[in-house]
Amino acid sequence: MSAVLGLERPQVVSHVQQALSYTVFDCKWVPRSARLMCLGSAARGTGIIQLYELHGARLEVLREIEKPKPIKCGTFGATSLQQRYLATGDFDGNLNIWNLEAPEIPVYSVKGHKEIINSIDGVGGLGIGEGAPEIVTGSRDGTVKVWDPRQKDTPVANMEPVQGESKRDCWTVAFGNAYNQEERVVCAGYDNGDIKLFDLKTMSLRWETNIKNGVCSVEFDRKDINMNKLVATSLEGKFHVFDMRTQHQTKGFASVSEKAQKSTIWQVRHLPQNRDIFMTSGGSGSLHLWKYEYPAQRSKKDSEGSEMGVAGSLSLLQNVTLSTQPISSLDWSPDKKGLCVCGAFDQTVRVLIVTKLNKI
Amino acid sequence: MPVWLREHSWRQSLTAVYLSLPLRGARATAANIFCSEQYLKVSIPPFLFEAVLYAPIDDTNSTAKIGNGNIFFTLYKKEPAIWDSLTLANADKEKLQHLRENAILEVQEKAKEETKAKKITKQENKKYALEATMKLEEAERKRIEDLKEKERQKVTKELELWKNQQKDGDKYKSIQAKEELHQEKEPLKERKNEKLNKTRIPNEGSSKTRLKSTRGCGGSCSIFSQDLKEEQLPAPRAAATIKVNFTPRVFPTALRESRVAEEEEWLHKQAEARRIINSDLSELEDLKEEEKNPDWLKDKGNKMFAMGDYLGAVNAYNLAVRLNNKLPLLYLNRAACHLKLRNLHKAIEDSSKALELLTPPVPDNENARVKAHVRRGTAFCQLELYTEGLQDYEAALKIDPKNKIIEKDAEKIRQLIQGTMQSS
Repeated sequence: MSAVLGLERPQVVSHVQQALSYTVFDCKWVPRSARLMCLGSAARGTGIIQLYELHGARLEVLREIEKPKPIKCGTFGATSLQQRYLATGDFDGNLNIWNLEAPEIPVYSVKGHKEIINSIDGVGGLGIGEGAPEIVTGSRDGTVKVWDPRQKDTPVANMEPVQGESKRDCWTVAFGNAYNQEERVVCAGYDNGDIKLFDLKTMSLRWETNIKNGVCSVEFDRKDINMNKLVATSLEGKFHVFDMRTQHQTKGFASVSEKAQKSTIWQVRHLPQNRDIFMTSGGSGSLHLWKYEYPAQRSKKDSEGSEMGVAGSLSLLQNVTLSTQPISSLDWSPDKKGLCVCGAFDQTVRVLIVTKLNKI
Repeated sequence: MPVWLREHSWRQSLTAVYLSLPLRGARATAANIFCSEQYLKVSIPPFLFEAVLYAPIDDTNSTAKIGNGNIFFTLYKKEPAIWDSLTLANADKEKLQHLRENAILEVQEKAKEETKAKKITKQENKKYALEATMKLEEAERKRIEDLKEKERQKVTKELELWKNQQKDGDKYKSIQAKEELHQEKEPLKERKNEKLNKTRIPNEGSSKTRLKSTRGCGGSCSIFSQDLKEEQLPAPRAAATIKVNFTPRVFPTALRESRVAEEEEWLHKQAEARRIINSDLSELEDLKEEEKNPDWLKDKGNKMFAMGDYLGAVNAYNLAVRLNNKLPLLYLNRAACHLKLRNLHKAIEDSSKALELLTPPVPDNENARVKAHVRRGTAFCQLELYTEGLQDYEAALKIDPKNKIIEKDAEKIRQLIQGTMQSS
């Protein structure tokens, strides 16, 4: 903890801590409520979904659901605000969408992948953005698949390795650029350091790069606008922020990178209420709060006269160590600015409040 | 022999004795003065002054002032009385000695005690200082904790407020929606059209009206709004696949920058191990480093072939084969050289060896197998063994049916065979 005189910087205050009896892999706020979901794997090899409600200074268990396979990730991104169905990916490669009021039978289920689904993202739901709600899953079998909950069994897009190519694990996926009904991109990060940007409108690869370290987490600052910034975090404590407004034919997107700590940066999450502030969570149990500052000119002309982007700069607003184990999941509440939940491998879920974000 | 200082002058009051001792040019410091309860000595080599005092004095409070060429002693008496003289009159040598020794001992004792006392006070001071700093730090920490606590409470209150707002908002909206429902049940169709028109305007405005009508509704309302929504959403995308190529990586583990050096070393070592499988050590000592690498030799052979130096190419391939006889490409290329050199039997041998090494037949070595068959076929034809040649050409065609050149050549051979058969 940094002792700050005057407390001008945002403070990360631990509001509630809850010990769990299972390993938590993902935690998410239920939109438009003070409730949160924890997803994980119990010691006996089954999957657990727990629903908590925040009451004052404690978390109360509202519901506990057990499923046959451990659950790795989940999202509310593709459901409507009224339904609030949870889409989960489990260790067996199954994608399921659950109605939490009636969780015995999934609303949608498909065995999407041959191996564990490492990451899932949803777009088009919650009244944000336009276009069809879609879910993307990235798996250890090297494929990234986009699903439409109205279409059974087959994905609407499938990004798979060429025949005969050896596969690399896909560790993270994210939607972006969904500013109208047709446009959508999917960004995927792999364990060999590849980041690939797929355009779903033209069904082609739009950009790829390699950041020399396995990519743990990618996120656009906003899914529902013309793509603005992309943050990719990796092993070895590094992360890169790409300016996605200007793409150069050969050089791709401009980026700035920062080495925050010696350990893996597991997650990055942008503050829903301010797209220039994001938090990264690390393998040493620490959280760093960053602010991105745009450069004076976001694009400039290179020697041949074509436009290329200019990356801005990063400043560290606050840094706090909460746990000795990696903090593997992080989620900001879309309703209350500064409220966030994080789950760590010490089987604890913590609700945190980040103060003074209004003054940034 | 010390020089005794005898010109001293003294006077006394009831409680004190004042002694003045001229120094005769010598410089005095505190170290030269030795004083105990009843004995006083000043020793500035070579000068010496000593006095066994008439009565005991309080030596801790007594002072000595050094200056102006003399020492001025102010000795406070233990018992107020008037002394007859400064020193004890009848002091014999033994007594004097005794007194001196006692004096020394006394002073030593006093010194010891003083140092002890100093130590103790020092320790106590340290303790006190430490406690004081600890208190200060404690206070500081507490202040920060309090500030944080206040923030926490403030935020908790805000959270509770917000939660309640949500609940109220829900209730309010459900009441509103129910009212709307009652109104809607009559001009149902009109409303539907109206809403449709409203929602055709793109943007957040539409999503809000959508929300408003669906929030907190019962089942009956939801079907109505569900239809609306489905009409607005675009159809599911047409399914498509995007083929992906990955940055090549030999290891199945994730890429880490810190491990790259180790991995490169490992790969290098593996390559080294692969290089020399068959080697005759005595001959190889003469060769240069590059010439021991079959890959390098193969490249050299290829270059020589391209330039027309077929014999040189054969030599290169020979050496390469000696180093590693499991590379089919070496035999394949050597067969091509032999063809050019019209060593047809050798060409056939080499192509056969290449084909042997190119098992199992998989798509990856298609190219190589086609070439091997074609070369062998050519060799056979040049030896006028047309049937065997045709067999090879047909095998090549089987692997690569789209190759026009092979087809043409196969046709030619067929014609030739038919021609010879006809003529014979």
